[in-house]
Amino acid sequence: MISRRFLLSLPIFLIVYLLQEGFVTQMRLPAGGFSLILIFSLAWAAMSTPEIGALTGFGAGLMMDLSETSPGPLGHWTLVMILVAFTISFLSYGDDHVRANPLNIVFLVVAGVVAAQFLFALLGLLLGQELGSISQVLFLCLGTAFWSAVVTPLILPIISRLHALVFGTASRI
Amino acid sequence: MRYGGDNRGRLLLIVLIVTSLFLITLDLRGVKVIDGVRSGTQTALTPVQKAGSWAVSPFRNFFSDVTHLGRTRNQIEKLKADNDALRLALLNRKVADAELKQLRSVLNLAGKGGYKVVAAKVISQGASTSFSQTITIDAGTRSGIHTNMTVISGFGLVGVIKIAYPNSAVVQLASDPSFRIGARIAGSQQIGILSGQGTRKGVLQLLDNSEEVKVGDAILARGSVNGRPFVPGVPIGEVTAVDNSASAVTQTADVKFYTNFSTLGVVTVVVSSPSSDPRDSLVPAKPAPAPIPTVTVTATPSPSVSPKG
Repeated sequence: MISRRFLLSLPIFLIVYLLQEGFVTQMRLPAGGFSLILIFSLAWAAMSTPEIGALTGFGAGLMMDLSETSPGPLGHWTLVMILVAFTISFLSYGDDHVRANPLNIVFLVVAGVVAAQFLFALLGLLLGQELGSISQVLFLCLGTAFWSAVVTPLILPIISRLHALVFGTASRI
Repeated sequence: MRYGGDNRGRLLLIVLIVTSLFLITLDLRGVKVIDGVRSGTQTALTPVQKAGSWAVSPFRNFFSDVTHLGRTRNQIEKLKADNDALRLALLNRKVADAELKQLRSVLNLAGKGGYKVVAAKVISQGASTSFSQTITIDAGTRSGIHTNMTVISGFGLVGVIKIAYPNSAVVQLASDPSFRIGARIAGSQQIGILSGQGTRKGVLQLLDNSEEVKVGDAILARGSVNGRPFVPGVPIGEVTAVDNSASAVTQTADVKFYTNFSTLGVVTVVVSSPSSDPRDSLVPAKPAPAPIPTVTVTATPSPSVSPKG
């Protein structure tokens, strides 16, 4: 069962990663744009158990680390994504009030995106990465939050259907 | 019912965190396997990024237009007037024309400076979610491009090659917060260090206070040993504000980069530095003030018509 789910999830995440690296990064959206793989994996985690959430974060973070434009060492995004994806799935799993309303998931994803960026910045500072001025960091975080809030509701039905395909219909929105 | 967690879940979480910390340690220690994985991923992604660049260019142009709407009324009226004349040209391979223009201007600059260059197209922009400012170009080590080479546009400095792959390379933009370059002021030859700030403005810190910096001064690259990472004489930007307060140990100045990093389409990589320093010859000419037309009206009395009698 686990291997079947893994085999089904892997190509989905690979396609999302290719879309992110091949198309989304080309758009050069103002205020930092959005990260499709980040939004997709956090929404996926919000519909999963905490264990699956942590594994999703691990896989998505590893992919983000493999991006040639990732400034940190390999494992930087991985660590951040494990923690954030696990937290999101922990907060939403088993709570029908959260899962029953798609807006809650959108809110969780947007909050997760901002938390992931702050955590990434914090860890980057510890590892000696230069991030620019605080106002610039805040501007990018707010910009990414805005774009995530716009994009997440649009792709949430697709993520929900794919998640239902892999894990059954229980979490379908 | 809220999830309470179990030992298996906690164990999995700990294993994953330890794995990621292990990866960070390996990468920071420079293990070659990690570099190989990243290089392999980039090699596989390059064709996808090229296809994406071609497919997304109309949307990108649209967003670029939308984000540059803050103009004065006069400029909008002038643009409206120009728009009709340009409409035909825009329809006729707008993207190709723009790239050709960029290429021509960058080759002009490289020719003036005596730089040997390799031209490349920008195929991707790094995600700002990581707080870094990078672009990816479609030429790499197979075209003679290696790390620590200067990248220029038709206006001046773009950045430096950070990583070179066989068919692509990652360029660290001059606006990146971790970017530093030795710079000098054209004319006075005062030297200092210019650092990126994450925006189109950089900060120049001068090394001595003997002469005052003025708004409008042009900043050029000072150059490195053997021209790597920076060749000498490349225009960087123009001073827009100066902080020379008495309490400051050194003078600092805000510098606006000549290059607009959000509209880069074609850039060139300097693969060989010039035999002689071009000094101040690449400083862009200041726009000449447009003459104000004066109209003199001379009143000439018309011959009075005398009544015929």
